[in-house]
Amino acid sequence: MKLTVRFWSYFADVTGCRDAAFEVEEGTTLGELHDQVCEQSPKLADARNSTLKAVGVDYQDDNFVLSDGDEISFFPPVQGG
Amino acid sequence: MKAELTLSPDPIDEAALAKARSITDGMGAVVTFAGVVRGREGEAAITGIDYESFDDMARRQFELIFAEIEQRWPIESVRLAHRTGIVKVNEPSLWVEVVAAHRAEAFYACQFLIDQMKQRVPIWKKPILT
Repeated sequence: MKLTVRFWSYFADVTGCRDAAFEVEEGTTLGELHDQVCEQSPKLADARNSTLKAVGVDYQDDNFVLSDGDEISFFPPVQGG
Repeated sequence: MKAELTLSPDPIDEAALAKARSITDGMGAVVTFAGVVRGREGEAAITGIDYESFDDMARRQFELIFAEIEQRWPIESVRLAHRTGIVKVNEPSLWVEVVAAHRAEAFYACQFLIDQMKQRVPIWKKPILT
């Protein structure tokens, strides 16, 4: 499956990109994708426990099963206001 | 409940927003809140804050929060404006208005909206150091 991963806020700085293409096996969960992302960007691994994750425009948890074409966002705690 | 959301790099014109207020004659409470950029971020002096927003998701999360407010309190309307991009010190980055029949629900809903925004709405800030 082909996925698009988006990094927001300082996550874009530490990964050096805002968008990245990922290819994963059918049935991959959001948590498993997060593992892969952390392997490629160790600085994101440091922030793993506080990382927020969304598929499209909705928050999802690690058990969420991804689908081909999904757009996944990883970002640090939000700071509006 | 009417809900109006503005996410924009344009300055928040509080006077224009107040002038555009529309309420029915059963409403007795209008609570407004303006969040203003402070001149310090921790120990550091700053000239402003650069707000980054994941706009589509921010709109979705605000819609969900508005729906929760509608479920919890008898609110006639909510209006919220949040700036994106650079906001200078002393300028408002956030403006909220809640209209209800009575003050208690208006205050509760306003507080709830801002608290939930700070937990869920994907907007981030980057201080601009002097």
